[in-house]
Amino acid sequence: MADRTTQSGIPLQPFYTAADRSSGGDDEASREPQSDPGEYPYTRGRLASPRRRDSWISQELSGEGTARRSNEQFRQLIERGARGLDVIGDAPTMSAMDPDHPLARHAVGNTGVSICRLQDFEDLYADLPLDELTFSHSLPPGAFAVAAFHRVAKRRGFDPKALRGSTILLPAYCEDCSYQIHMPYDLRMRLALDSIEFAATEMPRFHAFLEDTYYISDGGLNAIEEMALGFVEIREIVRTLIDRGLDVDAFAPRIAILVNCRMDLFEEVAKIRATRRIFARMMREEFGAKDPRSWSCAITAHTSGLSMTMAQPVNNVARGAVQGLALALAGVQAVEISCFDEAYRTPSHDAHMVSLRTQQIVQLEAGADRVADPLGGSYFVESLTDELEQRILEMVGSIESMGPLKEVSEKGWFRRLFQEAMTRRADAIQDGSETQIGVNAFVIPREEDRLLRDQSESKIEPYWGRIDEIRHFKDGRDAGAVAEQFARMREVAAEGETNLIEPIADAFEAGLTQGEIAGALRLGVGEAYDPLGQMEPPA
Amino acid sequence: MSAPRPIRILLAILGMDQHEAGAFAVARLLRDAGMEVIYLGRFGTPEIVAAAAQEEGVDVIGLSCHSWEYLYYLEELFELLKSRELDVPVVVGGSVLSQSDESEIQAKGVAATFGPGSDSAEIVQRIRNLVEARGAA
Repeated sequence: MADRTTQSGIPLQPFYTAADRSSGGDDEASREPQSDPGEYPYTRGRLASPRRRDSWISQELSGEGTARRSNEQFRQLIERGARGLDVIGDAPTMSAMDPDHPLARHAVGNTGVSICRLQDFEDLYADLPLDELTFSHSLPPGAFAVAAFHRVAKRRGFDPKALRGSTILLPAYCEDCSYQIHMPYDLRMRLALDSIEFAATEMPRFHAFLEDTYYISDGGLNAIEEMALGFVEIREIVRTLIDRGLDVDAFAPRIAILVNCRMDLFEEVAKIRATRRIFARMMREEFGAKDPRSWSCAITAHTSGLSMTMAQPVNNVARGAVQGLALALAGVQAVEISCFDEAYRTPSHDAHMVSLRTQQIVQLEAGADRVADPLGGSYFVESLTDELEQRILEMVGSIESMGPLKEVSEKGWFRRLFQEAMTRRADAIQDGSETQIGVNAFVIPREEDRLLRDQSESKIEPYWGRIDEIRHFKDGRDAGAVAEQFARMREVAAEGETNLIEPIADAFEAGLTQGEIAGALRLGVGEAYDPLGQMEPPA
Repeated sequence: MSAPRPIRILLAILGMDQHEAGAFAVARLLRDAGMEVIYLGRFGTPEIVAAAAQEEGVDVIGLSCHSWEYLYYLEELFELLKSRELDVPVVVGGSVLSQSDESEIQAKGVAATFGPGSDSAEIVQRIRNLVEARGAA
């Protein structure tokens, strides 16, 4: 191994010259001459000129306790200058389980918001201008959020066509990294495709097709693996939508990618530039998209939680600033910076403030985003962009050569990849090959490590009261309506043709919860209602 | 003289905590150190852990945590172990273990704690010491 490499292992030279551009990349003949920002293949940016004041939408991940409590957090964030919201669910919500599930009892509302019924979504969006803000829903499966957002907006008199935001899908990977929803591949894929197809006509400004490579990569995948897996899934979804008879230009303009941003500044910049180029060429040349909006991919970014440490939490503020700078230099459409307490909890009020201020300082004081692609033409960054493009495409090719994505996924190949990445990363920290200040370098005694310590380690108690609230809610419903919608949900899941979004919204409206809808869908495709075998169907 | 029996350790994650990175890393570390690791996977409960500890006849129970749920499950686990008359030390490690959590759960009866940044060699040695101290008792 070279003595200098990027975080993903690309060997580095001591310096770069014009000669490195042509030696580094893919086949020279196919490369376009250097284009401008806003021009195909969009390496240098999606837009010709960044927006005048702030080039990206500032968001911060939020959500804790009940939907009402999270709605208060939203308002505070907006007051401080956030222009988008990103809500994350607690562990049961992320797994499509209700708070009254026995296994959820100490996990309600303390790692995100507890959401399970339509009323919760109404409380979440209460009094907010749904047509003015963007709402990112880190609430899998995305189909539930699409159905609920659409239905609540309609009920409140907003035109769903004006709704903006996103939801995450991850049909190929979500069982293998982080939170499981316990649904088989075909059902997960159908929920994803139905969400995209529904949103393409009903919520055309909403990104129902958000490839969230942050979510899959923050266990320890490197930048190449992150984007290769992202593109494998995007390609599979695009091919399947085309097979369903959709015109690629009907949905491609609303494809977005939410990328991770680690600490390797130049590699992350080059990764984002390479991603835009790969996407543009793939959509135009391979999938035949004609609309230029289908070629230029919206990219949003969330800085790596894994890069944040429990040791010396104040160091995380410096990390956030470097990552924010990387994103400004790469050019992205929205940014979230992980907070100084990220290693311990979902962000507190104070931590939100620091992260938002970091974004504002990078943009408005440092002016790092005043010009599109300020690193364009750098010998090093252009060479690294070529190298990353080539390595990402090679890995995409090698995964696709293993067979149909469903088989590769069901064989457990991705699960092994995620596991290996986790142990590889643990080793790199343990043996010091990846430096983390305060962890394996420049360590200070624990008793001296006090700065921001108490703020970073304040706990959120579980919202135990919510468990009874939901039990009570379930007991008070119209049993006939619940039974009817439950049966319909099972039926449409089994029959396999109907788009699932309207039936899910109807089920919500009849009082069904996410846990019950997920259970009905599972029953419809021959799986157990509750994968953990502890809950009975409502009807 | 026959070789001593390897240390058997049960490794579990409780509740809805689904982050397995720490558990995988520790499982491999302990296996490399010659221990037998029985990893129970995700979605564990105190009942599942206590029953498995008895069936497998383990020397140590290790809980891996990336959420605070373990804090609320510990007492239940200790009661279940007691009712099964299992005198097995419980150790807890994980990314969310703060200094104050470590002292709090040690007071509750946890035999050893490993916060983020714990040294591999130290983890192995402290588990060995725990088991040897019991063998000698």
